[in-house]
Amino acid sequence: MPRSAPIFHFNHERAALVAQTIDRVCAQTRSPLHALNDAAYWETRRLEASRKKGDQDELAEWRALSRKLSRMTDAERRSQLKELVGNYAGDIAGNFDPRVYRLSTRILPSLVTGLLAPGSLPKKLRHPLELLKLDAIADKVVLQGDTARLQKLADKGTLVFVPTHASNMDSIVFGFALELSGLPPATYGAGKNLFTNPILSFFMHNLGAYKVDRRLRFDLYKDCLKAYSCVLLERGYHSLFFPGGTRSRSGAVEAKLKLGLAGTGIESYVSSLRRGAERKVFFVPATINYLITLEAETLIADYLSEAGKARYIIEDDESSRLSRVLAFVRKLFTMRGAVVVRFGTPLDPFGNPVDGDGNSLDARGRVVDTSSFVRDVRGEVSFEPERDAQYTRELATALVDAYRKNTVVMATHVVAAACFEHLRQQAPGADLFNVLRLRDQKISRDELARLVLERRDALRELEKRGEVVLAEDVRDTSGGDLLAQAMSAFSGYHSAPVIEAQPDGIVLRDPKLLLYYQNRLIRHGLAFDPEASTQKPGPRRGGGA
Amino acid sequence: MKPPSIGVLGGGPWGLALAQAATRGPCTTYLYSRRQQDAEVPSVHWTRDLAELAQCRLILVAVPSNLARTVARELGEHLDGSHVLVHGIRGLIGPELNTVSQIFREETPVRRLGALGGPVQADELAAGNPSAMVVAAEFPDVTAAVRDALQSDRLQLHMTRDLRGLEWASALVGCLSIGIGYVQARGSVSPGLLAALISRAVDEAATIAVAAGAEEKTFYGLGGYGDLLASMALTDRPEVVLGRELARGAKLEEARLRARLRVEAIDLVPRVAAFARSRGVSCPVLDAIGKILESSSDAEAIVRALFRG
Repeated sequence: MPRSAPIFHFNHERAALVAQTIDRVCAQTRSPLHALNDAAYWETRRLEASRKKGDQDELAEWRALSRKLSRMTDAERRSQLKELVGNYAGDIAGNFDPRVYRLSTRILPSLVTGLLAPGSLPKKLRHPLELLKLDAIADKVVLQGDTARLQKLADKGTLVFVPTHASNMDSIVFGFALELSGLPPATYGAGKNLFTNPILSFFMHNLGAYKVDRRLRFDLYKDCLKAYSCVLLERGYHSLFFPGGTRSRSGAVEAKLKLGLAGTGIESYVSSLRRGAERKVFFVPATINYLITLEAETLIADYLSEAGKARYIIEDDESSRLSRVLAFVRKLFTMRGAVVVRFGTPLDPFGNPVDGDGNSLDARGRVVDTSSFVRDVRGEVSFEPERDAQYTRELATALVDAYRKNTVVMATHVVAAACFEHLRQQAPGADLFNVLRLRDQKISRDELARLVLERRDALRELEKRGEVVLAEDVRDTSGGDLLAQAMSAFSGYHSAPVIEAQPDGIVLRDPKLLLYYQNRLIRHGLAFDPEASTQKPGPRRGGGA
Repeated sequence: MKPPSIGVLGGGPWGLALAQAATRGPCTTYLYSRRQQDAEVPSVHWTRDLAELAQCRLILVAVPSNLARTVARELGEHLDGSHVLVHGIRGLIGPELNTVSQIFREETPVRRLGALGGPVQADELAAGNPSAMVVAAEFPDVTAAVRDALQSDRLQLHMTRDLRGLEWASALVGCLSIGIGYVQARGSVSPGLLAALISRAVDEAATIAVAAGAEEKTFYGLGGYGDLLASMALTDRPEVVLGRELARGAKLEEARLRARLRVEAIDLVPRVAAFARSRGVSCPVLDAIGKILESSSDAEAIVRALFRG
């Protein structure tokens, strides 16, 4: 790992980062009584439902605090607040636990050597990013977009990468992508539950992750997270957020974003202006596109199941099972271009496009003074949370637009859309769940190839208008070859065949997975949209891993 | 602290009235007009220089909708992200029915955009008679800036965040007012029946605008219902005059002349009707108004259509 990587830098600065976070949250908290009461209420509720010994002790502490709070002086409450915020900030910033690190390094070699088996592996183990730069991976992960512009911008301000989120592999894949593009590593918030998985945890620590405990739902904790993120941005730590908030359950490209953290972009920019040391923040939309998705089966099942709505954090999906991760990675290694990471046009925190010199551009492409967007009618730079919330909403609109335009269509998506269309034709007027019950429908290879081609040609028209991107081996391939590509991608990874070739045609075995993969094209109007059908699976809860 | 200045772009009756209203507030008022200064308005600084106007960070635009894009393009050369641009233009632009704020977004770097609406008339505003106005903006600092500049004990401002809704409401009220003028001139309409027409028209307009992304409730507020109700009594509202003249048998050109001011709604009615059809929304009232403008149906049939579809 290069000496400039943030984890080294980070360990040196960690105490200062945490202290600054604590100061900021304590200064922002107007009523310690209210903040502590609110935290106590939510924590008591959460812990009452738990039977773990540790949780019971914690519960007793919260109850004791609740009882004392009203009798405490303001100074005592402030001090209690500071202690609590200190705990949270310390937990968020993470402990670089050498035991976890050692455990991870013991497991990784067997994983990677089993897959790659190059002789030089052992000595590279202490430098995981070097390891990941191996050509063996480089041609599996295809990079697209103006990385030269991003490299320039990395020197001019703080980059905030905001990719789409489909899989727990995303943070790892995106980490590779940054490394391969010559971009600096980014720090990011990852669900605390992921840190319990030794494989993912290994990468996360080394790629600069901080911990987000999604069980803590009260404002004080969220304030700590935001303040920490803001402090990182102000100090020039390039960051990574998944604005979708959670992995896309349906497989669709995100259309609704959670921008609590992204809103800190404006905050840190304004605060740099007020200090008289402008440090620009550049949001970089990106799409991570998989030919097959590690957790596709769990995600689509969760999307469809009524019970799934209540499952806030999925703890037991494919990414927590070593055998599945291995199978996935092994599969990845057999496919060229199995993952495409595409960077879109960078944006300022207000949603304006940014040129290579870091200038904000208006809709006509003219350079505009970035600071003017946060000046009031008197021309003074001002903090105005409501105004900035609106800018952040407009940034979200620009990001959603960028996701749609930068979606890279793969063979599995086009073929799934064609298959699903065939299924719907078999049951005209049926609702989604009845279509999903159609098992083992057979379609002639020629007919399916025709449906595939029809969709591909429509996508090509969209691509000409800049509304989507086709993967290299999708753009000019015949319908039959696209079908073959998709079948080879599907085979061998998913626990049951998605579609199966038989001498007299193709059998559509798994309508749910077909739905999952075709959903990638919903935003382009070229796949059946389950949300627009009469029987909706219902609104999705946010959060999760 | 010195109060900020406010600029008004457009020297027509509406622009002049806005400038006069602004002089009653705390801001220094600038008025940009290409015309010669032909009216004496105390405390208003006239200018023919857009760069000078752009010294004001709050600018109200009051030009006919067909000039909106050109004006925005020229003004855009002098603005940056610190400006607040608010328009009082009743209209939707082009076959795509873009709102004026969308045009401003395309042509200028300004992000803090807003619109004025509601029943207030230019002459009332100019004279300082008590009246009410709606200001819409997604950015709260826009509505606050307009309120600080214009609100007085004689002008009540109502705020909404539904910018798109207010722009659609203003435009559609213009269209529907033609129908009010027409029906009133036919003579035989009771107040109850007129009220029924207004209710029906507002419902229809709301359904169409919701399909375009507006909020329904905006149509049942001052910027929609309230604005259309005023047409019952505003006998010299240009759209009402136009409808009345057409009911009396005038040709469209004559009626247009008698309305004196430009009636944006004439071109808008068929475009909105086409939009409604494309979204599967039925629009019998608007279709009937289309027939009024085309004089393509006999009057009895039109009145029947207005009330019963």
